[in-house]
Amino acid sequence: MDELILNLKREIIEVLNLEEVKPEEIEDDAPLFGEGLGLDSIDALELIVLMEKNYGIKLSDPAQGRELFKSIRVMATYIRDNRKK
Amino acid sequence: MTREVYIRAARQISVQLPLSEGWMDAPLYPEGPYARAVDPDYRHYFAPNVARRLGKLLKRALLTSRLVMEESGVSRPGAIITGTGLGCIENTGIFLDALAREGEGLLQPTHFMQSTHNTISSLVAIDARCHGYNSTYAHKGASFECALLDAFLQLREGRVETALVGAHDEMTPDYFVLLKRAGYLGHAGGFSGETAASMMLADRPGDGALCRLRGVELLYRPGAGGLRRALDSLSREAGVGLDEVDAVMVGANGHPPNDRVYGEACPLLFPGKPLLRYKHLFGESYTAPALGAYAAATCLHRQRLPAHLFAGEGGVERRGVRHLLLYNHFENKTHSLVLLSACGG
Repeated sequence: MDELILNLKREIIEVLNLEEVKPEEIEDDAPLFGEGLGLDSIDALELIVLMEKNYGIKLSDPAQGRELFKSIRVMATYIRDNRKK
Repeated sequence: MTREVYIRAARQISVQLPLSEGWMDAPLYPEGPYARAVDPDYRHYFAPNVARRLGKLLKRALLTSRLVMEESGVSRPGAIITGTGLGCIENTGIFLDALAREGEGLLQPTHFMQSTHNTISSLVAIDARCHGYNSTYAHKGASFECALLDAFLQLREGRVETALVGAHDEMTPDYFVLLKRAGYLGHAGGFSGETAASMMLADRPGDGALCRLRGVELLYRPGAGGLRRALDSLSREAGVGLDEVDAVMVGANGHPPNDRVYGEACPLLFPGKPLLRYKHLFGESYTAPALGAYAAATCLHRQRLPAHLFAGEGGVERRGVRHLLLYNHFENKTHSLVLLSACGG
């Protein structure tokens, strides 16, 4: 799980072009949107693409994304349980 | 009654030192046929959360635009007009590559949003909270001149009081290979560069305008007679005799088919006039003529023509410059003439 969390942080930094952020600076349980990394709705779309491209997880319900992208740990847990890649 | 038009401020990011007039005294000469622009450290200008969404071309366009707005004291230009041959080609490439790789199933939103030509002009308008006229010209090698002509006419007719004109093009390695194959770039003696040039045009000089923009002529396949007529018209309307023009700046780039056009036309149109060049410093790109206009405006403002701008051997620095004429062509199809004068000239 720790390795998955670290990989996920690296992928998010790359796909969202968070050049100034290091993986260890992202807290596992901190909110991704609003506070924390301060992501917005376009970032949510990028994360949906990331989930499908890297882990084969297709999110069709936008409300699902709202729950799923609460924090890195919530995302990683969902990926661990549902990944197809 | 037509109004005067001034270039109040101009800034560039190119293969020369960025946001600097260092090329006047210590120009850089890139090696090889392909050179990327020298970028400033954008961390000094953009917050990280803003910068992360912007491709390089957008950062260059936004920064040069912000600086000319600040320097000219114009926070909300009446018009924002951009010329770009390729638009945000880097993001377009990333977006299309990803589409092809993923079987057209996944679309990257950020790259998609930034993959159009008019992203540049709209981003500058959003940043400046400017709801005025906003337009983008994408006409290959005539893109900048179209934007300049649009701004010039609107200012002259009093439709706007200020116009921000930008010319922005980047060159990716992949696109360079394509243009090289097509014979447009990559020839011996010249190099491919990148252009980000913004200038603020206004109907009043304000404090310390760089120069006056006296006229713009844009022609399609004019032939020698058409060029002569356009030149006479430009000279008559501006009230500046050709004998008063100090020098002619041309878009020679070291590529024989391109330079031959200047070689044939210039002795007929401007006999005995000193010829200046700028593409040996800034390189070739679809909107490179904007860097020529920027260089000429800077020379008029500083009242000197550095020796290294003169075509041919043995150029000698000249001081005291009143009128400069820019003559560019693109593939011997579109030709442009732009007349600039020193303020008070």
